[in-house]
Amino acid sequence: MKERIAGIIINELKIKDVTPQTFDPNLDLIEDLGIDSMELTTIVVVLQDEFGIRIDEDDFAQLTSLAKIAEYIEIKKKD
Amino acid sequence: MAVKFRDILADPEIEARWLKVKKYFYLRESTYDMTSRCSLRCDGCYYYEGEKQKTPDVTDPEKWRALLQAEKDRGITFVVLAGAEPGLVPELCRTCYEVIPNGCIASNGLRSFPEDIGYRIHISVWGDDAESKKSRGRACLDTQLEAFQGDDRAVFIYTFTKSNIDQLDSVAARIADEGGRLSFNLFSAPVGYEGPLRLGAEALRRTRDKMLEIMDRHPEATLFSRYNAEVHTDPEKSLHQRFKCPYPRCNPSTAVGLGRTFRQYRTDLTWDRKASCCVPNTDCDDCRHYAAGSAIVTSRMLRHVDDALSFRKWLDYVDTYLSVWIRGYEKGQNLYT
Repeated sequence: MKERIAGIIINELKIKDVTPQTFDPNLDLIEDLGIDSMELTTIVVVLQDEFGIRIDEDDFAQLTSLAKIAEYIEIKKKD
Repeated sequence: MAVKFRDILADPEIEARWLKVKKYFYLRESTYDMTSRCSLRCDGCYYYEGEKQKTPDVTDPEKWRALLQAEKDRGITFVVLAGAEPGLVPELCRTCYEVIPNGCIASNGLRSFPEDIGYRIHISVWGDDAESKKSRGRACLDTQLEAFQGDDRAVFIYTFTKSNIDQLDSVAARIADEGGRLSFNLFSAPVGYEGPLRLGAEALRRTRDKMLEIMDRHPEATLFSRYNAEVHTDPEKSLHQRFKCPYPRCNPSTAVGLGRTFRQYRTDLTWDRKASCCVPNTDCDDCRHYAAGSAIVTSRMLRHVDDALSFRKWLDYVDTYLSVWIRGYEKGQNLYT
């Protein structure tokens, strides 16, 4: 699952020189990559499609790294 | 979920607009009061209703340059230069432009700005000449039109109050005849304001009708959309009540977005989180500001992706916002009509 999420992040943020396999799961998307709420939203809408889940705006603060997004999606899929 | 986002984007018209607006998601805004001086004293002015008019001015361009450089370093890419009247300190506006070249100046428009300051310029219009004399102390439109004749930086912002709704007919005609562009704002009461300008439910309905009428009558000159009209004139809910304002003043979270990055600096180059939003002295329960909506509605994209119609409305709103605030961005045809 992490590689699928990493692929979405890389594609939406147009990150170069990194692959889904080499993406650091603990990289902080906000602190280290400087992404904003709108860029996070573009990732979220694709994640919703890809994993068939619903993500709430109030949960954006939890989605700060690949590892945390994967954990969040695991929980959502069980709901 | 009713519809997948990728299915919404399967419509080429929607996808093209999405790709157009998405390029601007890098914008990170903060706002700056430039001087405590103004050549007008208007009824209901946010600047002079509040405490910040007592803040001392920093007039040294190098101190402003240092602030803007620090802002750039923390990721700010778009500045709004406002209160009280930036036109009185063009040298400070130029300094800001030299450091962060994306931005907008909110001005009373009584004098032009040097050509080398390439920001968008919003010129405030509060009714026709008679109304302007009453609420601002002088007729402004002739001077404004002359100062900004043929200036592609300029957008005239008509602020609706309870008493000037129908005056838009003559004002819009004059702006359109001069080749200018206009957009709309709604008077939103400052905290504690008890004056006559506040828009009630009936005035909001008439305002919506007038907005749509002028959009039809002057489509080339009017930067607005049907959805803008709907959300800004909702008699039941202010922007904050409807969308939950993300500015720091209303939003304690510093995790991501405006709550993390937005600051509203006073003329002494300090800022206060508790007062940080686009028009700090506004009563949030009456907030229908165009500036507030540009951030609030745009940031709530996720609420607009459940079906194609909702997303069309949101795209119109963002397309409008970008055309009003970004010099050189051309608005497309509205997708929701």
